[in-house]
Amino acid sequence: MNTDQLIEQLAREVRPVPRRSRTLRLALGVGAGGIVTLAVLALTIGIRPDLSAALRGFPFWMKWIYTVSLGIGAVAITARLAQPEPVRLARFWPIMLPFLLLAILGAIELAHTPSRLWLDMWLSKTWKICPWLVLALSTPIFVGLLWSFRKLAPTRLRAAGAAAGLTAGAWAAALYCLHCPEVSAIFVLTWYTLGIALAGGLGALIGPRLLRW
Amino acid sequence: MRPGEDQLKAWMTRGLGGDAAAHARLLGALAPLLRHFYRRRISDDTEIEDLVQETLIAIHTRRASYDRDRPFTPWLFSIARYKMIDHLRRVRATLPIEDLSEMLGIEGFEEASNASIDIDRLLGLLPAKQARAIRHTRLDGLSTAEAATADGIGESDVKVSVHRGLKALAARLRGEPQ
Repeated sequence: MNTDQLIEQLAREVRPVPRRSRTLRLALGVGAGGIVTLAVLALTIGIRPDLSAALRGFPFWMKWIYTVSLGIGAVAITARLAQPEPVRLARFWPIMLPFLLLAILGAIELAHTPSRLWLDMWLSKTWKICPWLVLALSTPIFVGLLWSFRKLAPTRLRAAGAAAGLTAGAWAAALYCLHCPEVSAIFVLTWYTLGIALAGGLGALIGPRLLRW
Repeated sequence: MRPGEDQLKAWMTRGLGGDAAAHARLLGALAPLLRHFYRRRISDDTEIEDLVQETLIAIHTRRASYDRDRPFTPWLFSIARYKMIDHLRRVRATLPIEDLSEMLGIEGFEEASNASIDIDRLLGLLPAKQARAIRHTRLDGLSTAEAATADGIGESDVKVSVHRGLKALAARLRGEPQ
């Protein structure tokens, strides 16, 4: 086909693109994936039976705010990396802020706890499975984001993959709060973050292959 | 005279609003622009035409990635550059990536754009035309001819703008009064 014919053909299907469509598309990907994650979570490991009591306590909101703020930050980074123009990755440093704030909280928590209890508080009961569950639950959201990227134009595929992985991990962790009974800041700081980071790392690993266009 | 940034952006914006005629004119204007862009780096005509078509398709299907509040040509040439790297990687499968980035001057380009936040601030101090000329030729990696096309001005005008702009910036960085 020659180029003029191609142009003619392309110009035949010109659907309007809403102004916020890039953000909208990413939100849709995360949302659809999140619904699947939530369903899987509810049907497999289950939502904690004492959720309504937990909603009245501090630990639940600590975990929720930590993961959701990471999730929002990661979506913003993903949205920027979905544009083709060159970008300086160092400008994404604010994504570290939730982590730093939680680390401060963790330090305060340790200061108020006798040191013989530290190890129990840090590992608690679920440290071995928490990161893996977060990673597993992130899969549907990551797939949702792959769909979002189909009409977007990332040019730094590894970074975009990592950002998508982080987004998926953070929102999976936010939903995992509905199951997780843990209460300590250093637990969340370590094991939640590890799960989210694993998702980000995996995203960076497979990003160049899956996001290529 | 080929259409410049303002005209291309206007067509793009109208195309995003669903105006098929504007979209067709945009793609029609981009084809020669892209051909010219690739010709500087690739010699085979069939390869160039394939690449032009592939890029047009990408521009069409991925236009949601364009932000209406930003200039159009940097978006365009970022896609063109990506498509070219992807193409070269595919065609010359044995070419190591390190050599490739060297060949395309990607590293210098990355470095230049790494300082983009400071540069944005500095360029904001210059007259719009000078800032645009510097951005095109020094940051987006366009040739003088391409920059002239993108802005709808003459080549010598681009050169003069770059020269004056850089001189003014250098003076400012040295702390000299304007």
